[in-house]
Amino acid sequence: MSTRKNILITALLGATWMVALAFGARVLFKYETTPGSVGPISAAWPSVSMIRRQTDKPTLLMLAHPRCPCTRASIGELAEIMAHSVGKVNAFVLFVKPPGADVTWDDTDLRRSAADIPGVTVLSDENGVEAARFGAETSGHTLVFDRNGTLVFSGGITASRGHAGPNAGENAILAAVKQEPIQYSRTPVFGCSLTKCKSATEGKLCSK
Amino acid sequence: MFEVAGLTGLPEAASERAEELFQQHRRQIFRQTDQLFAKLMLFQWVACIIIAILVSPRTWDGASSQIHIHVWSAIFIGGAISLFPVWMTRVWPGAVATRYVIAVAQMLMSALLIALTGGRIETHFHVFGSLVVLSFYRDWRVLVPATIVVALDHFLRGIYLPYSVYGVLSASPWRSVEHAGWVIFENIFLVISCFRSIHEMRFIANRTAALEASDQRSRQLFDDAPIGMAVVALGNEKFKQVNARFTEMVGYSDAELMTRTPFDITHPDDLAESQRLVKAMLRGTERCSVEKRYLRSDGGILWAARTACIIRDKDGKPRDFLIMVEDITERKHAEEALRGAKKEADRANQAKSEFLSRMSHELRTPLNAILGFGQLLERQNPTSQQRGRVEHIMSAGRHLLNLINEVLDLSRIEAGHLQLSVEPVAVAEVLNEALDLMRPLAAERSMDLTVTTEFTENLWILADRQRLKQVLLNLLTNAVKYAPVGGRVAVSVIQPEARKTQVVVSDSGAGIATEKLARLFTPFDRLDVEDSGVEGTGLGLALCQRLMHAMGGDIGVDSAVGKGSAFWIELPAADSPLAGLPKSRTVGAGDVSAATGGTILYIEDNLSNLTLVEQMLAEQSNIHLLTAMQGGLGLDLARQHLPDLILLDLHLPDIGGHEVLARLRSEKLTRDIPIVVISADATKGQIQRLMAAGVRAYLTKPLDIGEFFRVIDEAMGSRDRQLEKAVA
Repeated sequence: MSTRKNILITALLGATWMVALAFGARVLFKYETTPGSVGPISAAWPSVSMIRRQTDKPTLLMLAHPRCPCTRASIGELAEIMAHSVGKVNAFVLFVKPPGADVTWDDTDLRRSAADIPGVTVLSDENGVEAARFGAETSGHTLVFDRNGTLVFSGGITASRGHAGPNAGENAILAAVKQEPIQYSRTPVFGCSLTKCKSATEGKLCSK
Repeated sequence: MFEVAGLTGLPEAASERAEELFQQHRRQIFRQTDQLFAKLMLFQWVACIIIAILVSPRTWDGASSQIHIHVWSAIFIGGAISLFPVWMTRVWPGAVATRYVIAVAQMLMSALLIALTGGRIETHFHVFGSLVVLSFYRDWRVLVPATIVVALDHFLRGIYLPYSVYGVLSASPWRSVEHAGWVIFENIFLVISCFRSIHEMRFIANRTAALEASDQRSRQLFDDAPIGMAVVALGNEKFKQVNARFTEMVGYSDAELMTRTPFDITHPDDLAESQRLVKAMLRGTERCSVEKRYLRSDGGILWAARTACIIRDKDGKPRDFLIMVEDITERKHAEEALRGAKKEADRANQAKSEFLSRMSHELRTPLNAILGFGQLLERQNPTSQQRGRVEHIMSAGRHLLNLINEVLDLSRIEAGHLQLSVEPVAVAEVLNEALDLMRPLAAERSMDLTVTTEFTENLWILADRQRLKQVLLNLLTNAVKYAPVGGRVAVSVIQPEARKTQVVVSDSGAGIATEKLARLFTPFDRLDVEDSGVEGTGLGLALCQRLMHAMGGDIGVDSAVGKGSAFWIELPAADSPLAGLPKSRTVGAGDVSAATGGTILYIEDNLSNLTLVEQMLAEQSNIHLLTAMQGGLGLDLARQHLPDLILLDLHLPDIGGHEVLARLRSEKLTRDIPIVVISADATKGQIQRLMAAGVRAYLTKPLDIGEFFRVIDEAMGSRDRQLEKAVA
């Protein structure tokens, strides 16, 4: 192969390479930074909730998909929050169980990781009833209610989809626990969808 | 500042070579690092897929799931990131563009990995690790695009989506600077490391270039050496390296020699010595030289002067032999030819001597008749006309006899057969004898023959008395013959040094041209005076020179045309043998005993020796001493007086001592007379021969007085006992 031809091919391949990488980066970037949907959020603790809220301290509630890899980052951030809020907050993680799911559905490493966090109570949300009550449609959606049951924070606690690290949600929750002013009371939620599929046995993909 | 270091002190050619080596080394590093990254890229791609499958295999939508976008990203984006740089390393290995593409791709791979692992802080170390691996290129420029990619990623995210990078919804631009700052912080050290590496590479290149130049010089010296050179391995003793001259000498090619040892091409007769020398070198001898023979490939023999030394490694252990071979075949042949020629010359010389000896006898016999009858004719009162004719016969006969004698003397000297009796000789005595003999001839030519130096009786020199007189007579005869009638001949004796004595014979002749002086002592060369009417053989001075050298002396001439010539002879000075001899002695242990008495005949031509013995025996009243200075006279006295003891010198002017001894032993009257030889010749062979010929004792000069009296006493006592026995 002549040098000139090599140069030409290299230039073409290089250009293609850059375009492909730019396209790939854009797709990935868009995926990571597109927040999930959020349902109607109640400004106060729903009275019909099966979860018993204690009034001596604020209550943190995270609704999660037990198999969502992106939620692993949210659980990690929750561990961070709990480490800074020992004894100052009642925390619950509810793993949504769709209709028809067997007992092993939520027996995942994610649930075990959540259960290992001191001060966190892990519960199963059969058929996503509680998620619907609190308006959570995306895994990792976290809500914080004060002692009076008033919602003080709603949103995700990761900077992007499945991305660990400092984020505005985490900062807001820590401030709420400490009863300090909150800069952002709403943040985007990044994670798998909790509610779009009606049944785990339907065997077809759901669409948003 | 690093890149210029280490370049100083190298010649231009070596600098160019150093630069070439440096660039070569860099290219090699670029290519090797390209290959490293090609493998790393593929490995990272696979690692990305595995991580994606393990960490986020599927994404969920309630109860439904599908393959996670991370898995597709790992496959497709990871593939896109990796494959193009890998392709570049194949098509453009070592190229700048390849390095830059790899740098960009590597940082993109870091970004992908961080994305796939959910932004784990540990994964961010991949960025720093990637920069370190990029510095393997030892090209700091590669860090630039890598750093730009990291900086752009943070900068753009910080602007457009700060929440995804810094976790806050609005970030300060300084956060980007801070993040990039850590990368730049690492880059500073990596850049320094790159410069240092380049500096070391330059240093190595310079050293290598210098070593190559040195090695090249050594190799050139080895290859172009005018002598054969070879390196032999110490282990298997085979040739490792040979130069062109060596292959030319032995006739084998390089390849042929590499399968042989030096012993394989050594002449069988020289093998044992060669092996012995090798063992000696292994025992510690650093260098050895030998003349030996090599067998050439064509079957010929190469005579060589071979020097071998040991080449040691850096630890001083013997590693190889260095052999240096000089072809001496021609020299050996020349030496052999020379030996043959010398042998032939010796044989020819021997034949010449035999011829001369025979011719001498054959010529002397008719000459005896010519001169004998000529003398008879002179006594028979010839007429004046007849007298003239007889004088012509006698003159020609004497000339011929002289010629024969000189030729024979010359022959004896050259054959090494001349016998000399070098002993202390009184200069005055020999010189006076020679002058007395020359005075009639000088008077005949109206010449003034004078002695200009008042030399003393105590001036002694070491010489053979007869030969010294012969030389002096020759010089005086030449002076008288070649000086004009009425001219002048002067003799002087000087001592130029404390232990040297010179006798100078000067004449008022025509002198000798400078250009002819070199031919003066050449036999038969009369320096173009053949037509001058002066008789001569051209052998006199040649004979004089050889005689003087044989006596340990020298001869020379100072001459100038029109100013005459001054011939000089020089001999070592000697102490007088009479010195220290007591004038009056009493009979003691060394004297002849009272009972021993009789007649002693001493045949000796040297007056000093005669005087010495006379004085030694002067106080022995019972000893009657008879003396004879010629052999013939000695024989007559022996026959007439029948002495009780004969003391005999061997070098006599007329009849040699050996001949006198033989005649005494052959005659009935003298057969039983004890004979004691007194000679300066103290060689063992001479003494043994004469003792076997019947002499009673052999005394060597200078005489030991005690030994002299003991021998006389013993010899005369023996004679008395024989007589008593005969009477009884």
